[in-house]
Amino acid sequence: MLQQTIALIIIIFFVLRIIYQRQKEKISTQEFIFWFIFWIIAGLAIGFIKQIDNFVARLGFSGKGIDILIYLAVAILFYFVFRLRIKIEKMERNITKIIREIAINSDKLNKK
Amino acid sequence: MNNQNQKIFCIIPAFNEEANIARVLDDVKKIINNIIVVDDGSEDKTAEKAQKKGAIVLRHIINRGQGAALQTGNDYANKNNADIVVHFDADGQFLAEEINDLIKPITRKEADVVFGSRFLEKKSNIPFTKKRIIMPIAKTVNKLLAGANLTDPQSGFRAMNRKTFSSLEIEQDKMAHCSEIIFKTFNNKIPSKEVAITVIYNDFGQKFSGGIKIFKDLLLGKFID
Repeated sequence: MLQQTIALIIIIFFVLRIIYQRQKEKISTQEFIFWFIFWIIAGLAIGFIKQIDNFVARLGFSGKGIDILIYLAVAILFYFVFRLRIKIEKMERNITKIIREIAINSDKLNKK
Repeated sequence: MNNQNQKIFCIIPAFNEEANIARVLDDVKKIINNIIVVDDGSEDKTAEKAQKKGAIVLRHIINRGQGAALQTGNDYANKNNADIVVHFDADGQFLAEEINDLIKPITRKEADVVFGSRFLEKKSNIPFTKKRIIMPIAKTVNKLLAGANLTDPQSGFRAMNRKTFSSLEIEQDKMAHCSEIIFKTFNNKIPSKEVAITVIYNDFGQKFSGGIKIFKDLLLGKFID
């Protein structure tokens, strides 16, 4: 019960933080909605951890609900890292395009 | 063969090659007049030395990799109405006199892309692990991913006609461009040919870890539109 309370306090802190960041326009509406839903789902999962335990047991898993949540979190994190890697790669390619334009255009300038 | 009527550009990507670039340019100049050196963010005097030797020098203000430098050269050649481009290394591992062998199948209209191969009749002093382990793996990957049946899976010495270099975009900035060019050639059914070349190994070149990085870059490239 104590652990659940601490987890919920942390989640409330993050929810308040994203509301504050949205108000200061540090994050976009889209980002705000994503993180708001994320933390609400996390809060609900913590609040109904016993029900999740039962649900997981009914599915035939021997582990506890919290284990499943951790597995899911790791999978989601992997996905985010992968998305980030692709985004960085796209940025790298765009940087190359800029450098190429500069290289070719400065040769034109030399010729003038 | 009549090279006089063709506008041929030799593209040489160079990164910190001040020790070799002058000698390489002297050799290439005997064969081709239009030489583009893409100085890929060198911190030494590569660009100055190339300029002194009369090459057209395009400067990447920061290092972007060999694939990126080659595409810069291709773009420049395209804008300057080149008929054929030859990709050549700045470290002196290729023989300039063999450029004619690479161009020949294009001028004779036998192929649109010509790859130099270290594994045909000529002898190169290829390090053992490279020849027996790294190359066979790379060959298998090429065969599986593009059905490419080349004797040399990673050659950097190649020539392309205008139709090819103006449409085949090198998107892999780093060392994966070799495989990328092979994949795109075979997947788009571009007529290609291999000719024998000699490679002088001054150092080991691409290591096994480099091979893994190439594979990773190629895989990641699949997810980028």
